[in-house]
Amino acid sequence: MRVTENTNFGVVRDSVRKSRERLENLQMQSATLKKLNTPSDDPIGSAKVLEIRTEKMNNEQFLNNIKLTETFLSNSDHAVGELADIMVRAKEIALGQASGASSNEDTRLGLSEEVTQLFLQGVAAANRRIGERYLFGGYRSNTAPISNQGRYQGDDGQIMAEVSKDVFVSMNVPGIDIFNTNPKGALADRESMESATELKQADGRAPAQEGRRREFKLSGDETTENVNFFDELQTLRIGLLTGDLDAIRGTLERFDSMHGKLIATRAKIGSRIQGLQTTQGALERHTLTNATLSSSLEDADMAQVVSDLAKEETVFRSSLASSQKLVQPTLMDFLR
Amino acid sequence: MGISNLLQTGRSSMTAAKTAIATAGHNIANANTEGFSRQRVEQSAASGSPKPGSRAEIGRGVNNVSVSRINDEYVEKQIRNSTRDLGHAEEKDLFLRQTEDVFNELNGEGLNRLMTRFFNEFRKLGNEPDNEAVRQSVRESTKALVNDIKRMRGEVDEVRRHIDSRLDGYVREMNSLSEELRDLNLKIKVASVQGGLPNDLLDRRDQVLKHLGSFADLQMHKDNEGGYVVNIKGVGPLVAGPTFNKFSTERSPADDQGKMVDSLDLKTEASANGNVTHLVSGGKMGALLETRDKLLSTIVDRLDQLAFGLSESVNMVHRQGFNRYGQQGADFFKPLESADRASERIDLSDEVKTNVNSIATAAEPESPGDNRIAIAISGLQGQKLLNEGKATIDDFYNSIVSDIGVANARNRSVMTQQKDIATQLGKIREQVSGVSIDEETANLLQFQHSFDASAKVIQVADECLKTILELKR
Repeated sequence: MRVTENTNFGVVRDSVRKSRERLENLQMQSATLKKLNTPSDDPIGSAKVLEIRTEKMNNEQFLNNIKLTETFLSNSDHAVGELADIMVRAKEIALGQASGASSNEDTRLGLSEEVTQLFLQGVAAANRRIGERYLFGGYRSNTAPISNQGRYQGDDGQIMAEVSKDVFVSMNVPGIDIFNTNPKGALADRESMESATELKQADGRAPAQEGRRREFKLSGDETTENVNFFDELQTLRIGLLTGDLDAIRGTLERFDSMHGKLIATRAKIGSRIQGLQTTQGALERHTLTNATLSSSLEDADMAQVVSDLAKEETVFRSSLASSQKLVQPTLMDFLR
Repeated sequence: MGISNLLQTGRSSMTAAKTAIATAGHNIANANTEGFSRQRVEQSAASGSPKPGSRAEIGRGVNNVSVSRINDEYVEKQIRNSTRDLGHAEEKDLFLRQTEDVFNELNGEGLNRLMTRFFNEFRKLGNEPDNEAVRQSVRESTKALVNDIKRMRGEVDEVRRHIDSRLDGYVREMNSLSEELRDLNLKIKVASVQGGLPNDLLDRRDQVLKHLGSFADLQMHKDNEGGYVVNIKGVGPLVAGPTFNKFSTERSPADDQGKMVDSLDLKTEASANGNVTHLVSGGKMGALLETRDKLLSTIVDRLDQLAFGLSESVNMVHRQGFNRYGQQGADFFKPLESADRASERIDLSDEVKTNVNSIATAAEPESPGDNRIAIAISGLQGQKLLNEGKATIDDFYNSIVSDIGVANARNRSVMTQQKDIATQLGKIREQVSGVSIDEETANLLQFQHSFDASAKVIQVADECLKTILELKR
């Protein structure tokens, strides 16, 4: 084979260039600690990396949603707990005053004052809010759900939060479900009070309507009589004021069922919070798995990179050294 | 045979030696000239005229001295092909890298992140639909998203403009090479007719063919007078005899074969309707056209679809919702009639731009806590809205990125391979036609000695003549 000087120099240039190319690539990897620096380094892997990043950002958001939902729910839990305590106290009063033996007008008048206080406490608890948002107003979160007369002014909107991909949890319990043992009955009452035109307007709320109806079918037995928290306190108060012992006795059972309803609501909230914690755990595990996967896709194996770098440096040096040998003196140098 | 013949023999051999020395010098001088083929002196012995009865036939020195180049036409052809394919891959690489840069967000911000942020802002809005600060941040994140879509579109267009300006340059280069080839053909013909061997012109012509061939797929063959006829595959003759086909470029509207608006069309003087944009393939020009009309236009198309799909689907949900004022039916994005140039035209609607309380979150009026619309919009992230219901917006964008990555990676491996082939062919050519300084030095010495010896022959002849002339004294 004929070998010319140009071939020699070509080989030198080529090997040095290739070696430099590999060195640069390794240098880049060790500088960024990543083996994926452009999509073409691993097209499928980089699409996966993008996907994982999206998931990571979403999971962070879901964790935030969980935190917020949890705050909302535990605050609701406290408020419902307060309401339950009020019920217990009201029942004690009613029990004490139910028979003529233990009841006289003085105590009844004093106790009616306490019941008024309980009523106001109940309104305050029902109108509890976080920042500017009322807990129990449903979608009408900017107006107090319970008026001073004890009328419900909210709606039955369930504010949903996405706590995991396509998993929604309602972050609130609408007041109508708390203050009534049979919300369906309560709604019938309320609707009969509302004028016909208002009713028409309500029908016009197209997307919401269906959801609401379904909601009602789920909650409560339609045939049982409805007990309203505030109505019952009023009944007791009036009973105490007028000395109507029958009416006072009549409240006992209804206080029981109201108390039962509140406890059930707390249980519902508690199980939601528990569910949230489970979801949170799952999300955190998912984030961890994703981090591992994404690291295996895009992170450079530093031990590998460093050892490759050392090896490549040797290759580079030896290719330079061999170049010195390759670029031999020509015959010219020996003809003097 | 006479003494004067001896002088003649010496003279012819001196001339031959001098030619050989000059040729060695020429070779050394051109050792680094690209495309140069080493030259060699060819000569033959001049036979003497035999005399009847004599058995001593004396030669008359050297004659038919000619200089020829050592060159393998087949290797040259292979080099031409590999130059073309390497040029194709390198040209593509240049622009694929630029395009990839537009979409590279592995080490930073990018559309993927902004889209995720956009949907998560709606999740935040779902958590606090009555919070004005969150509304502001929904608007800001949307602005960032819209701007990034526009940035991408703009940068892809920048790459497209870069391709066009290069195309324009190549057309000019190609025209001047075609002209040079035509002239070389002519000169070589003239020189050959006069009986010469125009080695350096032949080398130059090989170079021109190599350069010309790097622009597109060409077919070339020699006509019977030794001139090269060059055709462009799919278009027609480029150089034939005394004519060459001049190319030009022209800015023109978009066409149905992927050429974008304002891109350059390729035209020739000779072909029927003049427009050969989609006929030229291979080589550097083929690479430019392919990148521009296939890759870039597809990307722009997909960006348009993405922008259109996003704004349409968000609007569709948003229009059902009620804003803080209890009004229904407003758009979130400025409505677009079609996907055409959607990535340029996507924008927030005027209502949302001027007032964040126009963002609808509620499915019924006067329900500040109602977040169903906000949640429905964030839910669009997971819905297969694009590519005829096969891809989510995220998938769709990620597939653009990975497609560019695949195209780039594939081309890079082709390029590496072509580079190796080119290097290998270069070595083979060097083996055949390359100048070796060692060889030439040895030749120089050899021819110098033969020059000395030839001079000696003349000296001897001279002395012989002197002796003869002195006989009379």
